[in-house]
Amino acid sequence: MITTVAVHQMRSLRRQRTFLALLGTFLVMTALAGVLGWSSQRTIVRVYEAAVSLLRDRGSQAPPNPFALKPTLSMLSNMAIYVPLIGALLALILGHVSLADDQATGVERLIFSRPVRRSAYFLGKVGAAAVVLALILVVSFVVSAVSLVLVNDAALTADDLLRLATFYGLSWLYLNVFALVGMVTVLLARRRSMALLAGIGVWLVLTFAVPQFTSGLAPVASLHPVTNPVSTSQPFFEFTARGRPYSVTEQYKRASAVVLETAPSESTASTVRRVLPIVGLLVLLFLVAGFLVRRHDASTGIADE
Amino acid sequence: MAGPAIEMAGVRHSYGRREVLRGIDLAIEPGEVFGFLGHNGAGKTTTVNILTTLLTPTQGHARVCGFDVVANRREVTRCIGYLPADVRLYPHLTAAENLEFFAKLSGVRNPRRAVAETLDYLGCADLAGLRVGSFSSGMRQQIGIAQAVLHRPQVLFLDEPTAGLDPLGVRQLRATVRRLNQELGMTVFMNTHLLSEVGRVCTTIGVLNQGSLIYKDSIEATTKRFPDEASLEDIYVRMEQQPE
Repeated sequence: MITTVAVHQMRSLRRQRTFLALLGTFLVMTALAGVLGWSSQRTIVRVYEAAVSLLRDRGSQAPPNPFALKPTLSMLSNMAIYVPLIGALLALILGHVSLADDQATGVERLIFSRPVRRSAYFLGKVGAAAVVLALILVVSFVVSAVSLVLVNDAALTADDLLRLATFYGLSWLYLNVFALVGMVTVLLARRRSMALLAGIGVWLVLTFAVPQFTSGLAPVASLHPVTNPVSTSQPFFEFTARGRPYSVTEQYKRASAVVLETAPSESTASTVRRVLPIVGLLVLLFLVAGFLVRRHDASTGIADE
Repeated sequence: MAGPAIEMAGVRHSYGRREVLRGIDLAIEPGEVFGFLGHNGAGKTTTVNILTTLLTPTQGHARVCGFDVVANRREVTRCIGYLPADVRLYPHLTAAENLEFFAKLSGVRNPRRAVAETLDYLGCADLAGLRVGSFSSGMRQQIGIAQAVLHRPQVLFLDEPTAGLDPLGVRQLRATVRRLNQELGMTVFMNTHLLSEVGRVCTTIGVLNQGSLIYKDSIEATTKRFPDEASLEDIYVRMEQQPE
């Protein structure tokens, strides 16, 4: 029964216009990430070549090409921004439509007046969302790899491919959080518009407000490489800084940067520790959504406004 | 099926403090077409929601096909078909895709064949490949009935099935209900406002007033009992005004 629900959900999503529009945007942005990397590289290389020519004319020695020192995957650094921005919204819509469509059209009543366990229904929906997100990220992985090879003329090593796969694996975990947020808000709200608004509210808080609160508030945090800003010694900033390890978006971005080698490397244990809050939130949302589905009054549905 | 197809004993239901069903006792025999009447908010849909296992009664017991709606939910759902009021199905999927999904959920062995046979039986095979979103109310109602009878249930629940239908649609629905009852032997429980339909299709009626069942008898006995009233509508109005 879980498979029946999941397969049907995936079939249904193929014709969901909002979902398809967001999916298209996400894949275009994935391709753009490679193009933007290529564009910035080209600009810097041109400046470098002009500088080298100037230095040679003056008889000075030219420094090495900065891009020769940069890791290949760093050209995809924008992806760590697109995933929380567009990818998370896509996942949110995916989770939202999974349950809200059934409720708003009255189909939920038809489903639960059949020999279908609520747990099977819920697992089918969650499974479908997880598989769809995985498929999207596999396509995104291929687009990224191809754009690196074709547009940036970069040779990908086995280590690069493994890192790229790890990045998309991490993104899959992160996006599933938002798919579950989309489901939980549908189960809690009485109106569809409120459910969507609440979901977007959670996305805004997790993507912008919490990182701003836990890191951005430190006034001298931008004075890199000051590692211990003076302001964090104040009680307020000490308090906000304590939330940093639990800010899922911040930890996702940081772990992604380490994986894509755009941030200084750290031990594997440290990177895994960054992933733990994402996994923790995922498990928590799964349990909450499962509980709400069991308690949900299937006879009423959600107002489609 | 031994015993009544539907049986309710002292069923009560409350939404918070508001009691909507106040101890319903009801028995419907197999093969009956039962018309459940009552004004808006009388508790008709709540009753159907309880009998289709969507709601758990606050108090009392209900059995469908001999199974308790709370303790034997899965058994009940295997032997019923249900068409709620204003169901829209999946608008972006075709009728056949919608029906195949519901056939699979009902545990039908060969869903594709069951869909084709049911659509053929209901005379709407031409709708199979069309998207439900493009359907008129009447066409949607036909597919709604198809999903409810795909697995050949013993008891069919219809909640306001004539709502939004034009006269032709109403006539078509009436013929379908009659065929399902007479040819396939389905017991039909129908919530409705359309009293003209009740007289033409139903064998028995029940009247619900403010959560209490104030009347239940066969159509024949009802018309004999109220010889002064010109129509079933007059009888219904009299019952609503003088419940005792």
